[in-house]
Amino acid sequence: MTRTSLPRTLRAFFVRLGGVFAGHAQDREMAAEFESHLQMEIDDNLRAGMTPAEARRQALLKTGGLALAQENYRARRGLPFIGTLLGDLQYAGRLLRRSPGFTFVAVLSLALGIGANTAIFTIINAVMLRSLPVEDPSRLVQIKRGDSPILTNPIWEQIRDRQQAFSGVLAYADTKFDLADGGESQFAHGIWASGDFFRVLGVAPAAGRMFSAYDDRRGAPALAVLSYDFWQRRYGGDSNAIGKTIRLNRVPFQIVGVAAPWFKGLDVDHAFDVAIPLANEPLLHADFSMLDARSAWWLRVLGRLRPGESIAQASERMRLLSPAISENTVPANWEPKDRTEYLKSVYKLSPAAGGFSQTGRQYRTALLTLMAIVGLVLLIACANVANLLLARASAREREFAVRLALGASRMRVVRQLLTESLLLSVLGALGGFLLALSGSRALIRLISTAADPLAIDLSPDWRVFGFTIAAALFTALLFGLAPALRATQMELEQSLKENARGAVAGSSRFNLGKALIAGQVALSLVLLIAAGLFVGTLRNLLTVDTGFVRQNVVVVNVDAGHAALPKPQRIAAYTQMLERLRNVNGVAAAASSMIVPLSGSAWDSYVHAEGYTSTTPADLDVFLNRVSPGYFRTMRTPLLRGRDFNEHDDSHSPRVMILSESTARHFFGSQNPVGKTAAIEEPDVKPAPLYEIIGVVKDAKYAEVDEPRRWTGFVASGQDPDPFSTISFEVRSQLPAERLIPSLRTAISHVSPAASLEFKNLEVDVNDTLLRPRVVALLAAAFGLLALVLAMVGLYGVTSYSVARRKGEIGIRMALGEQRQSVTWLMLRDVFLLLVLGLMIGLGAALAAGRLVASLLYGIQPNDPLRLSAAMLVLAVATAVAAYLPARRAARLDPMTALREE
Amino acid sequence: MNDKTDVWQGTLALMVLKTLETMGALHGYGIARRIEQTSGDVLQVNYGTLYPALLKLEQEGYISAEWGVSDNNRKAKFYALTRAGRKKLALETRQWEQTTAIIARFLFPDRQAS
Repeated sequence: MTRTSLPRTLRAFFVRLGGVFAGHAQDREMAAEFESHLQMEIDDNLRAGMTPAEARRQALLKTGGLALAQENYRARRGLPFIGTLLGDLQYAGRLLRRSPGFTFVAVLSLALGIGANTAIFTIINAVMLRSLPVEDPSRLVQIKRGDSPILTNPIWEQIRDRQQAFSGVLAYADTKFDLADGGESQFAHGIWASGDFFRVLGVAPAAGRMFSAYDDRRGAPALAVLSYDFWQRRYGGDSNAIGKTIRLNRVPFQIVGVAAPWFKGLDVDHAFDVAIPLANEPLLHADFSMLDARSAWWLRVLGRLRPGESIAQASERMRLLSPAISENTVPANWEPKDRTEYLKSVYKLSPAAGGFSQTGRQYRTALLTLMAIVGLVLLIACANVANLLLARASAREREFAVRLALGASRMRVVRQLLTESLLLSVLGALGGFLLALSGSRALIRLISTAADPLAIDLSPDWRVFGFTIAAALFTALLFGLAPALRATQMELEQSLKENARGAVAGSSRFNLGKALIAGQVALSLVLLIAAGLFVGTLRNLLTVDTGFVRQNVVVVNVDAGHAALPKPQRIAAYTQMLERLRNVNGVAAAASSMIVPLSGSAWDSYVHAEGYTSTTPADLDVFLNRVSPGYFRTMRTPLLRGRDFNEHDDSHSPRVMILSESTARHFFGSQNPVGKTAAIEEPDVKPAPLYEIIGVVKDAKYAEVDEPRRWTGFVASGQDPDPFSTISFEVRSQLPAERLIPSLRTAISHVSPAASLEFKNLEVDVNDTLLRPRVVALLAAAFGLLALVLAMVGLYGVTSYSVARRKGEIGIRMALGEQRQSVTWLMLRDVFLLLVLGLMIGLGAALAAGRLVASLLYGIQPNDPLRLSAAMLVLAVATAVAAYLPARRAARLDPMTALREE
Repeated sequence: MNDKTDVWQGTLALMVLKTLETMGALHGYGIARRIEQTSGDVLQVNYGTLYPALLKLEQEGYISAEWGVSDNNRKAKFYALTRAGRKKLALETRQWEQTTAIIARFLFPDRQAS
């Protein structure tokens, strides 16, 4: 009947929350009130004519039991649940303080386990789960052509002009802008952005204005918007920066505004510095504007769903628009078959709330694998703590027996034990959270390279907090529940009697401990095998024959500027630079190339070799590079047949080409390829120009160390019909880079004083491409080792404990004349059984899990028998040692002492 | 003692509020007495039920408590209605009337008054 309104209930709740801490004063007040009640009752009874004794008796009967009333009153005054919890926590805290060794080991293993999990989760959260901090990110979708996420500008213009399907659309592309005005290059993270970019994302200016659709029209003046951080860094936040010019790739742009501080761009691992309108693109690419190129794929296109419209509805509209878009953008120079294919493309939508990240794409499988690995580590840590708790529970058997005998319910004792577990796991989670804060940052530093520093916002959000709290609760239940249930499941009389005198301690209590040990061994084996596979992969990748020698090579990327060095003069200028570089003191060899191997850039084209007929287009797809004479000598790629390019291979002489060994065999079989011809397709050139094959070189890796075999060929830089204003030089020298670089800079500036230069060490760059396998191997090895140590500690503890428990038995056996070896064996027999069981389970699990990580492996099979047996051997030896030490101690027991102690 | 009914949970709060409205500030014993008398000694209120109920009403802010001295000069805690308590009582009374009227119409349809 008395329904109480919510605010009243809340008020009562807070009063009661305060009541939890009620002290003796409140208890005295309650007693006084009850006492006065009783006295008034007695007074009335006396007045009614009873004798004093009778008056008191009647009053007591009437008022009811005092103790119960007090209990009810106390329960109502505070919150009984919280009160008990506080009591339990106090008790648990006292117990943990009393055994600091146990507490330290348990909290440390939990902190390591939870910390590793939270650290990896923080990164996964940042690159895969978190939404972009832009206006209503859940309404953002990415527009893809089928499955290809990157579109051309003509397609973008079609979508922009038919944007009925959305309330706004935008396109953007990442780029690098060179801020230097000649001399050493200084790169900023840039974006090309469509006019509506900032409006659709809801980004307000922090200063000046954002550019708009009006600024993004062909031939519009050059404008730039800065990011807030870049503005602070480079201009000290000076508002006078607005209206100034900034030179990007040596072209002046006028700064019109600064974006709001929270906006870092749409890529979560790289904050942008400068944004310029798409329409300004020709200013930077005077020779080869991509605005009208129908096969230049460079833009990401996003739309904002209209209010109240679902992604399915918008997809349907987009599907209907697809044929018209394709019709207007089909590349004219494509083969008819490819054009038909293109016309069938359907534009699809996918959610884009999370933004984009290279880290997420490259490290997705690696991160998930690491998450699984640290999850296993946490399980092992839990098993260890559970074992410690079991051992403690056995020691506290009598305490529980007494409590149960005094009438505590089993649930009550379990609750007390779980509170202890919870306290441990909360302490562990606190430690783990602190570890994770620095751990996740350290990990990102580990996967950043000098050339590509990652800027990922790793500040913990509610998801990370939630994850840590969930991990703490989950682990507390995991390691606490079973021991607690086990400890309270006892025959009372049995327990009260047992410890008093027991020669042969029952081993039943230990089944759970055994299962835990077998599980630990199994999990550790999985982690050791994973570590072995990843370390093996890394070793394979480091020793892969790339086909060139990457040590002692400095790469110089030169941007001569398309205005400063007009096209007709380029070949001559590059030849001159090369001459000067070769004359620098200490330079053993030098060459130039359009593409630096393993830099990730690629140029491929269809090649029709004389006498070869293809079955599939992939058979004709050759990855090409344009190199100077001496390139193979500089890179130490052996020339197997024919000759190298020379200075006579110029625009007046017949075009020449060099093939890699396997490409030559692919096209010409066992025939001598030298002297044969091949045609290389070029856009807009019909028929495709013919090249004479003049040589064959050893195979070399083209874009990635772990790439599958691809067909490769080289053409002469002297015959370049359309030389770029950028070129790379490879310089081989024994001199340390810092001593060499100044003279290289002088050599190039002699020829082209305005050129901007970037110096790189080929070995460092190539090794940086192996960063992911390196990090995975490093972490897998570290966690594998941790798992091994935890398993050893666990086994050591369990064996020691069982030795301690069976002291009496051992004493009697020895007194009866049993040999020391046989006592040792008695102790070890169980352990070995567990070990074998654990190894079998672990092997099965590892084989099952191996297939999931196959994409992270190179040159190694997940079921590689050698590695499997090596891991098993390591684990078996390590755990055997851990178990042998306490077992040997058992054998050394003096039977008399052992028996007397009982 | 067996012929007396313990007061029904839930209605006790309403009775306490009504008692305090009628009698003004009163101590726990007085409240218990008054409820018993009003019920014609059918109900019995012991302090195991009364004091937790008083505490609940106090925590919810419907009544306030203060130590004072009783008629026969004993120290006692006096309870009084607050403004929220008065409003609550009015509301509860209305609801109670409504409920009893409805129940009555169900149980004794023939007795239905005009």
